Amino acid sequence: MQPEGGKINTLHLGFLITGFTFGSSVILSPGVEAGHNAWLTVFAGLVMGLIMAYIYFTVAEKFPGKNFIEINDLLLGAYLGKIVSLLYLCYFLHLGSLILRDFGDFFTLTIYVNTPEVVIVGSFALLAASAVRNGIEVITRCSLIIVPLTMFAFILDTILILPQAKYEKLLPILELPLKDFLRISFSSFSFPFGEVVCFLMITAFLNSTKGLKKHVLSGLTVAGFFLITASIRNTTVLGAAVKMGLYPTFDAIQLIDIADFLTRLELVIISVMLTTGFIKLSVLYYGTVIGLAQVFKLRSYLPLVLPIGIILVVLCITQFENTQENLAWAANIYPWYVLPFQVLFPFLYLILALLKGNHSGRKKAGERS
Amino acid sequence: MHTRKYLILIYLLVFLFTASGCWDRRELNELALATCVGIDLGEDPQHLQMTVEIVLPENISTPGGASGQGKPTFTVKSQGLTAFEAARKLTLNTEERIYFAHNPVVVFGEEMALNGIAPAFDFFIRDPEPRRTAWMLVSEQRAEEIVNIDTMLEPITGIYINKLIEEIVSNSLIASMSVQDFLERLMSPTSSPYCSLIRAKKENDSIIMELTGTAIFKKDKMVGKFDYTEGRGLLWVLGEVKSGIIVVPCENDSNVALEIIRSQSKIIPSITDNTLKITIKVKEEGNLGEQQCPYELTTPQAWSSLEKKKAEAIRQEILAAVRKAQELNTDVFGFGEAFHRKYPKLWKEQLKQNWDVFFPEIEVEILVEAKLRRTGMISKPGIPD
Repeated sequence: MQPEGGKINTLHLGFLITGFTFGSSVILSPGVEAGHNAWLTVFAGLVMGLIMAYIYFTVAEKFPGKNFIEINDLLLGAYLGKIVSLLYLCYFLHLGSLILRDFGDFFTLTIYVNTPEVVIVGSFALLAASAVRNGIEVITRCSLIIVPLTMFAFILDTILILPQAKYEKLLPILELPLKDFLRISFSSFSFPFGEVVCFLMITAFLNSTKGLKKHVLSGLTVAGFFLITASIRNTTVLGAAVKMGLYPTFDAIQLIDIADFLTRLELVIISVMLTTGFIKLSVLYYGTVIGLAQVFKLRSYLPLVLPIGIILVVLCITQFENTQENLAWAANIYPWYVLPFQVLFPFLYLILALLKGNHSGRKKAGERS
Repeated sequence: MHTRKYLILIYLLVFLFTASGCWDRRELNELALATCVGIDLGEDPQHLQMTVEIVLPENISTPGGASGQGKPTFTVKSQGLTAFEAARKLTLNTEERIYFAHNPVVVFGEEMALNGIAPAFDFFIRDPEPRRTAWMLVSEQRAEEIVNIDTMLEPITGIYINKLIEEIVSNSLIASMSVQDFLERLMSPTSSPYCSLIRAKKENDSIIMELTGTAIFKKDKMVGKFDYTEGRGLLWVLGEVKSGIIVVPCENDSNVALEIIRSQSKIIPSITDNTLKITIKVKEEGNLGEQQCPYELTTPQAWSSLEKKKAEAIRQEILAAVRKAQELNTDVFGFGEAFHRKYPKLWKEQLKQNWDVFFPEIEVEILVEAKLRRTGMISKPGIPD
């Protein structure tokens, strides 16, 4: 039994995943620490992401029509399953608040210098709350409009900046100690590719799991391809200065100058791209709310939307005193913090699902209670 | 149904009033737009002095419309320990806060540049307002004097300087650099930044500005100047010569002027027997633009000798720039980055740390391939025998 009756198909899920992965990584370029080798670390992150996504969705395919909470209960037992479920829900909620914080910081740093962050973050959360109340179908439909629009903006700005790009700035390739390369690659896996684990909350709403992996993995690849392009673009335009900016994409787009006429496009283009942040936030928010409703066996998830939204905003504002804390946390702690959620538990599930899968295969005729 | 309609109406009305503004609104009539920023050392050398030209929109004459009443610009200055402090102190003189987002030009006084521009540079990248597309310049006198100038040609100094820099391409004698490019070079361990040099001079009661060469930096400190020949030499190496005139001798006192149409360059590093060598390959194409001597130059022999003379002239320009740069020990050409790309391991182990030792000793080979394409509208010289 699901607390919501929405149905989506796997193609739409692919779109949703593209939008989700694009999310805030479009302004906070992953792997930027690696300088001119950033695109390689994003590529490595994408490969890891594809492998892990394959695992996540193999588990999901074993239990069609069941969401993550039910899968946890089945695999780990009622008590342990509930505990792990709650941990995951905390992670989703926290991740949502981090996304909010990234956007809040971005706006207060660039244009709304005097506006209190809570106003920006609050209105963003309110919008997401309305999407969440309307259910998964609405969020998915939004992504069908937003994702192509974002792609268009992205391609447009990449073409417009081409005259400033110098490709020799990418050389020499692979100039990074292996240890650093792996560390940065893992960090660009954990943000954003590994966060796709949240979609385990959504797979229950699929009308059929046919072509699930195909669409999900291609959605992830498309987003990864765009992020690699972004990374290459930023390096070829900004050169050695790419490392220092908080928002390399913003810095690069700022330099667009076509015949003194098409200039200063950064805000137009960035605003379009930020809409994918709304998708990411909505999915995480929705996952949290649905999961909670499931754990506590509520008939509807709607009463939870507003309280969780308030927690999101409060957590977002209070978790970091300043930008510096956010940066230090994202760089040093985040990859370790997500390790169990994105890697360890999914591996455990895969093993358990393969072991128990034989059982459910035999019992295929009758639905599980 | 009716209540729903009214609800939507109220909803829209609420939006009408709340979505129209925010904390950070800056209306056009309350902006003091900066169009030229000058940075100097203050009276007390610990302080910086910032001079800013502000546009007064009501005094700008519009074509066909009523012309303005007084000067279209207004200059304010202030001092502070840092650029940001000085920028805010400007508001002690102006009624509105200065808005830097549309500023096209940042001028550093020579004295400031010799001492290092780092104390003021961070502000222009960290603050979200100033754009990194602004041009960097060094002025031979105090930057304050440049900003203060009232010229006949263009009432707004910043726009005047901006146009001057954009017209550099027709001669390609001076190298120019934006704040972003300057930053990129500052971040590189070996490459040195450069920017255009400007000066104001008085001529027959009117004051005009002149780009006098290229200022060469080492890290953030200005260490020397390139004249026009060396400036073009630098641009040849960077492959940024887009147009210009090369004059080569024809006979006795007469000359031939050749127009540059396009050029390309390649920097190829190599290492033989522990010596670093750079090969600069320049490909140039141009037209015969003018001749003073009465000979017919459009014969095959004369044409190819002209091409050779041109190639030699280009070689000399590049050589002048390379010699000067090695003398000053500033890698304005990006040779270090070229070695970095080709020999990443060696670069990391030795070259990067000791680039100042290696750079002046680099052997430079210059290969120029100069082509003459068109003769102009005539094939016989327009000079009597």
